[in-house]
Amino acid sequence: MAGPEEVFALICKYFIEPVGRTTLFGHIGASLGRVLIGYSIASLAGVTLGLAMGYSKTVRAIAAPLFNIVRPIPAVAWIPMTILWLGIGEAAKIFIIFIGGFANTVINSMSGVRTVDPVLIGAAQLLGASKWQTFRRVILPSSFPYVFAGLQISLSGSWMSVLAAEMVSSHEGVGWLIITGMNNANTAQIMAGMIPIGVVGFILVSLMRWIEKKLCAWNDRSR
Amino acid sequence: MAKKNARDSRIWLSIQKEKKEKRKYVLISCASLLTFLLIWELCTDILKLAPSYAMPSPLKVFRSFVAKLYQTAPDGSTLPVHIGVSVYTALLGFLMGAVIGSPLGILMAWFKTLDRIVKPVFDVLRPIPPIAWIPIMLVVLGIGTASKVAVIFMASFVPCVINAYSGIKQTNEVHIWVGKTFGASRSQLLFRVAIPTAMPMIFTGIKVSLGASWMALVAAELLASSSGLGYMIQIARSVGRADIIIVGMLMIGVISMLFSAALEYLERRFVKGVK
Repeated sequence: MAGPEEVFALICKYFIEPVGRTTLFGHIGASLGRVLIGYSIASLAGVTLGLAMGYSKTVRAIAAPLFNIVRPIPAVAWIPMTILWLGIGEAAKIFIIFIGGFANTVINSMSGVRTVDPVLIGAAQLLGASKWQTFRRVILPSSFPYVFAGLQISLSGSWMSVLAAEMVSSHEGVGWLIITGMNNANTAQIMAGMIPIGVVGFILVSLMRWIEKKLCAWNDRSR
Repeated sequence: MAKKNARDSRIWLSIQKEKKEKRKYVLISCASLLTFLLIWELCTDILKLAPSYAMPSPLKVFRSFVAKLYQTAPDGSTLPVHIGVSVYTALLGFLMGAVIGSPLGILMAWFKTLDRIVKPVFDVLRPIPPIAWIPIMLVVLGIGTASKVAVIFMASFVPCVINAYSGIKQTNEVHIWVGKTFGASRSQLLFRVAIPTAMPMIFTGIKVSLGASWMALVAAELLASSSGLGYMIQIARSVGRADIIIVGMLMIGVISMLFSAALEYLERRFVKGVK
C-alpha cells in the first residue's frame, strides 16, 4: 500500500515525464477521445431508438423483447465476444463504450415520451397538429429533461466502461496505467491512475449538470 | 334498463377492443424475436456467413447451455456452481454495502457534524468507478473472495449513501414543524417523519447498488478469479468457445433481471406509496 505523498509525487511526475507511450495528459486524452466517439454514437442511436419506442407502440413491440434481453448484460460482459468479433483494436473499445452508454439513453428517452401529459397531446391534435408537429412541438420538448437525464447517466456509464475496455488490452489510456500497475504490483501507480479517473469523471458530470441547467432551465433538478 | 344494458355492452366492447390490441402487440413482439432467431440461425448454420468460432448458431448455444448444466469442461465447474459462487459473492458484498451505506447516508443527512466530517472523504471516493478499485483490491487482498467482496462493497456503498442522503434531505419542512409542534422528540422526528419520507429514495439507492454490484462482480471475475460466471466466460474465450461465452452473458443478464424483479417485489411490499 503506497502512502499519499508517494502517490501525489508520482502523479506530478507522470504529468511531466512520459509513462509508457505518453504523459498522464496523453493517457487521459486517449481515454477521453475514445469515450467521446463511443458516447456520441450511443447517444445518437439511443435517443433515436428511445423516442421511437416511446412514440410508436409498434416499434416498441418490435424492439422491446430483444432490448430487454440485452439490456441487463453489463458492458464488461461484452468484452470477450467483442474481442472475437472486432479484435483488440480501437473498434472493440468503442463498441464496449457504446454498450456502456446505450441502454440508459434508450430507457430514459422512452420513459420521457411516455410520461408526456396526454392532455397536451390531445390539445395539440384538437387544434389540428399533424403527427409530426405533435412530436416536434409537444413531445420532444416535454420529454427533453428525461432524455438529458439519460444522457447524463450514460456518460458516466461510458466513462466507466472505457476503463474496462482498456484493462483488457491497450497501449495507452488511464485503464492501461492501472492495469500495468497491477501487473507490476505497483500500488502507487494504480492509485495514480485511479485519482485522475475520479477527477475526470467528476468534471464530466459537473459539465453535464451545467449544460442541463443552461438548456432546460425550467426543470431545475439540482435543488 | 335498456339504456343500462347498452352502456354495459359499450364498455364490454371497448374492453374487448383493448384486449385485441394488446394481443396484436404481443404477437408482433413474438414475431420480432422469432425473426431475430431465424436470421441468426440463417447467417450461422445455413449460410455460414460468420465462422463458427466467432458466432455460434442459436441451436448450438442452447445445446451448450444444456450440456454445461452437468459438464465441467472447459473450466472445471458446472454452470450451477458458477452461478452459485457469483450470486453468493455479489450478495455478500451488496448486503454489506447496503447495510452500512444506507444508515450512513441517513445519519449524514440528519447530523450536520457527521456530514462535515464524512462528506469530504466521501466526495473524493464517490466519482471513482467501482471497476477502478479492482486492481488495487487484487494487489492488497489477493484473488480470493475477499477482494471481490471489497470491490462490490465499494460499488454498492456509494449509491446507497447518496440516495439515503438526498432522500432525508427532501423531507418536507412543514412535516417536521408539525412534528415539533406536537412535541415529537428528535429521534421520533427521524424515525416517524424523515425515514418514511426517504424510503422510496433509499430503495432506489438499493436497486441501483444491486445493479452496480453485479456489474462490478462480473468485471472482477473477468480480470482475476478462479470460479464464477465471469471466470467461465474468460476461460471460454481463451479456449475459443464462443457458445459458452454467450451462455454466460445470457445467464448474467437473466440473473440481473431476477435481482431487480425481486427488489421490485420487496419494494411493493414494504414501501408505502409505491404501486
